[in-house]
Amino acid sequence: MPLDAAPPQTPPAAVSAALTTTNVRVTSSFRGARIVLYGAVLDPSQKPSDVVVIVRGPDAPVRMARKTRIAGVWVNSRPVVFEGAPGFYMAASTRPLDEIASFSTLRRLGAGIDHLRINAPMEQRIESRYGVRDVVVSGLGADYLDWRRAVVRLKEASGLYAADSRGVSFVDKGLFKAEIDLPTGAPIGVYSADIFLFQDGQPVSSRTRGLTVEKAGVERALYLFAHQRPWSYGLASVAIALAAGWAASVAFRRN
Amino acid sequence: MDFYLPIAEVSVNAPLLIALGAAVGFISGLFGIGGGFLMTPVLVFLGIPPAVAVASEANHVAASSTSSVISYTRRKAVDFRMGGVLAAGGAVGSLLGVEVFRWLRLLGQADLVVSLSYLVFLGVIGALMLWESLGSILRRRRGDAPKPRKDRRPPWLYGLPFKMRFPRSRLYISVIPPILLGVFVGILSAIMGVGGGFVLVPAMVYILRMPAGVVVGTSLFQIIITTSLTSVLQAGRNQTVDVVLATLLLIGGVLGAQVGARASSRFRAEELRALLAVIVLAVGLRMGLGLFFTPSEPFVLMAGNG
Repeated sequence: MPLDAAPPQTPPAAVSAALTTTNVRVTSSFRGARIVLYGAVLDPSQKPSDVVVIVRGPDAPVRMARKTRIAGVWVNSRPVVFEGAPGFYMAASTRPLDEIASFSTLRRLGAGIDHLRINAPMEQRIESRYGVRDVVVSGLGADYLDWRRAVVRLKEASGLYAADSRGVSFVDKGLFKAEIDLPTGAPIGVYSADIFLFQDGQPVSSRTRGLTVEKAGVERALYLFAHQRPWSYGLASVAIALAAGWAASVAFRRN
Repeated sequence: MDFYLPIAEVSVNAPLLIALGAAVGFISGLFGIGGGFLMTPVLVFLGIPPAVAVASEANHVAASSTSSVISYTRRKAVDFRMGGVLAAGGAVGSLLGVEVFRWLRLLGQADLVVSLSYLVFLGVIGALMLWESLGSILRRRRGDAPKPRKDRRPPWLYGLPFKMRFPRSRLYISVIPPILLGVFVGILSAIMGVGGGFVLVPAMVYILRMPAGVVVGTSLFQIIITTSLTSVLQAGRNQTVDVVLATLLLIGGVLGAQVGARASSRFRAEELRALLAVIVLAVGLRMGLGLFFTPSEPFVLMAGNG
């Protein structure tokens, strides 16, 4: 037996996970949905493990304005568009994220609301200042953080962004689960759930699961009708209105 | 029973909306107004995006106005010729209004303009109407003779060209003032999500000097045409008409309008006007005064991607 033999090979730690539902149908009775994510940590070495679940909805630019007071009246500023903000974002973990991994690791993975890549808006203009030409002036400048916090705050208020530092719980040895709450206003589209297994502050294994939220049935038919044939849709809705008004008046005359 | 609205993308309570539709429909039939100025703020308050509320409400107003205008037609209380002239102006106005609204949304100033319009138009008209109707109620209580109707008609109304005969209103006036009035109401219809009856009714009485008996029916007739057009334009240009929302509202609305139109003959005209004035004033102040208070959240998310 050679002396320099490697220590017995143990398979690397791995995580696996699945969603109870992969296709959320938005019908007329839709009032949000709760999806359970469950998974298992497969690690023969029994090292302490942490699980982080990141769910992202389709990216949708956020258009936001700040109210400013002009002549006693509160008026919206010019709207600012933030690119790349996810339409839905949820971060759940077994412990607070900053205890699980370092700032740079979290930033790299985009894990946690503080690390979301919400791009600075393209509100730049070039102008002359103090006689110097071609000075780049950012529309937001030092206020950027205020705006960014406001995006997160408003999205959290509508249930679209959530962070739960105890959202992933181990239900049995190596078996964990997390709940994803989609509010009524959850955007339509393809979502992804990233499940990371952390050991010693490093992500050692990950899985990605897809989730689709789509309009179904009558809702879908009406939505498509309204967007693909808007003029016919408008005429049809007016026809319904006029017919209903006429029908009510006829019905009442008979009485 | 909750319903998810396909265009508004929010979930609403269906019985609540039907009841709201009925209440507003009743007021609509009673006073001969579309009722949009009441319904649009309520919808926004319930969480419907303002653009969808404004557009769908135009559809609802068309339904409840149709329902009541038919009863007014039977009483021969509609001047179709005057209504047609007003509607011609209204068509131009709603074309303009839908484009203006689109442009304001891009600028992010739609909310401001809507709130200011409510404050200014509803505030001023409500106050004037309240003043006038309280005056006539007091005069009658004291037993004074009613204020003699001024027969001197304003010369600008008669001096203008393109005169036209309106037999049912017993008028022979230029078509320019009614057309301009129609344009103005059409713009309001698209921006505020209202039929514009609260502007039309006083304007027809005090500016055009139409006989009181045909004012309400004629106003409703013109509102049907303007709001139908607004509704089609909003759907075509902005895709903001939610047919499920409009249908829920109009189920209650058309029934309420029938009951309201019948009830209207049991009240005195000035008492009805005083009551309407109070409602108009209250809604205008409620919508507009918010502009002067410091908001608890200085940032607002805006729908759409400009």
